[in-house]
Amino acid sequence: MSLPPSPVAPALPLTPQPLPYSSLQGRAGFSGFPSPAQDYEPRTLDLNTRLIKNPTQTFYLSAAGDSMEGWGIFEGDLLVVDRSIKPRLGHILVAMLDDEVLIKRYALYRGTPHLCSAHPHYPPLPLEDTDCQLWGVVRAVIHEYLR
Amino acid sequence: MIGLVDANNFYVSCERVFDPSLEGKPVGVMSNNDGCIIARSAEMKAMDIPMGVPAFKLEALRQRGEIHLKSSNYELYGDMSARLCQLLRDTCPAVSPYSIDEMFVYLEEFTDRQCQILGEWLRRRIRRHLGLPVCVGLAPTHTLAKLANHFAKQMPHYQGVCLLQADGAATAALLKQTPVGSVWGIGRRLAERLAVSDIHTAWDLREADVQRLRKRFSVVLARTALELRGTACLHMNDLDQPRHRIMTSRSFGQPTGVKQEVHNALRRHAQRSAEKLRQQQSMARAVMIFLNTNRHRRDQRQYFPHAMVALPAPSDDTRAILDAVRQGLEQIYRPGYRFMKAGVMLLDLVDAEQHQLSLLNPPSRNRYPLLMATLDDINRRMGQGTISFGMTNANAAWQLRCAHRSHRYTTRWDELMQAGTHPGAIRECALRKQPLP
Repeated sequence: MSLPPSPVAPALPLTPQPLPYSSLQGRAGFSGFPSPAQDYEPRTLDLNTRLIKNPTQTFYLSAAGDSMEGWGIFEGDLLVVDRSIKPRLGHILVAMLDDEVLIKRYALYRGTPHLCSAHPHYPPLPLEDTDCQLWGVVRAVIHEYLR
Repeated sequence: MIGLVDANNFYVSCERVFDPSLEGKPVGVMSNNDGCIIARSAEMKAMDIPMGVPAFKLEALRQRGEIHLKSSNYELYGDMSARLCQLLRDTCPAVSPYSIDEMFVYLEEFTDRQCQILGEWLRRRIRRHLGLPVCVGLAPTHTLAKLANHFAKQMPHYQGVCLLQADGAATAALLKQTPVGSVWGIGRRLAERLAVSDIHTAWDLREADVQRLRKRFSVVLARTALELRGTACLHMNDLDQPRHRIMTSRSFGQPTGVKQEVHNALRRHAQRSAEKLRQQQSMARAVMIFLNTNRHRRDQRQYFPHAMVALPAPSDDTRAILDAVRQGLEQIYRPGYRFMKAGVMLLDLVDAEQHQLSLLNPPSRNRYPLLMATLDDINRRMGQGTISFGMTNANAAWQLRCAHRSHRYTTRWDELMQAGTHPGAIRECALRKQPLP
């Protein structure tokens, strides 16, 4: 396939981007005296670097439904999904089952691996003999109180 | 060794990453304005639906649910392409993207065996981490790597990874069954001319006399023949079209003869082209604009003008390019035509870094790079066209038609992929959001 007339700019997301005018930081006033803070590297805590370890393989999803509230996932929450993580028991997964995209906890139930929810109405789904496919592992959930 | 990583049916595969229900079904992606088919899944190819078929001819099939058609979602494809490129950069010594879905990787210090293993590993990794199926072709030269990739795609026993050595019986057998037109850079016309000289297969070209090829055809063809023998002599710069010119063109959603609408479309294309120009750190010497009427409407007057405007100095300044576009349009615009398509091409590109060393660079312009960088940064973060020069009319005729576009899952907060906490949760959620009747 050749290059289409207008591919969208490769917008690699999730990397901390410098502020446009960072060169103005670190000086106080117009006196010409260096700021005492100048020797300290300007550092800001960056949520991106905390929540996103593998930017290339990280995707954001949005949650629908109430049956994972016991694990702290509410409808409309933002899921930070890392596709590069190997799933382990206890992880919260995004998985595809019968053309549906599901968020479930990967856990043992009666000794075999199941996809479990945190709601009595939805029994654990056994993984044996299904064509369930892993989409990614949920690294973090962001619940915004003010939007 | 050089590896070519090429995504299978890239646009369709991108759609499937975020909509698993499309897996295993015939899926097609339509061009800008939902005009014709530009990408097909394997299932659609098996139905003998050709590339480029007008979408309206497939409307009945679509309505019966036998095929799925998607409007092109370049924001999504562009983002997935950037991720693919980044994943390769994270794992290979050197990478250079050739197109939106093809990337070369350079593996100079690896043995054949190591390359084969790396190729298989990359293929699994890209599939798992990005959800994209790819094939990998490995060979000593670009031209052979491209062929190896072709074999990896066509012949199932390679399982997606084909390593082609320069010599040996296996390579000879494969090249002998490959028509010369399948070799990189050899178009239909050239293939016909070669057939007259009794060169029919890739093997024939490989064995042809290089001096004669150079004399009768071209230096590039002679080099291609050498490349088939395993001598690397074509470089990315020989192949990389975007380094030579940048084009942005689109059809109008509705044909229009209104000068202001044509101008607005050209301005938008110019701004997009300028952004691409700055991204690859080039400057343009000239700007070409063109307009097309609909050549299939015999009942309408036809006009296919183009105008080329040289810039006063090589530039990547959107304002200079917009100025050139305005001049060009003044030259060619005539009332009374229904224009169907408009485009802006930036030509004769030079390396921005080299140019900035020049003493002749006018100093009055020193502030504009910051302005342009800020503009690009905001548009990258907030979405295309968040900030632009002049006003663009959202309801104008030239806005793209994209009735079947999937969500821009990776670039828009309000279009994220949904995951349900239990089967049926997504449907229930959608019903809850609908107002009660």
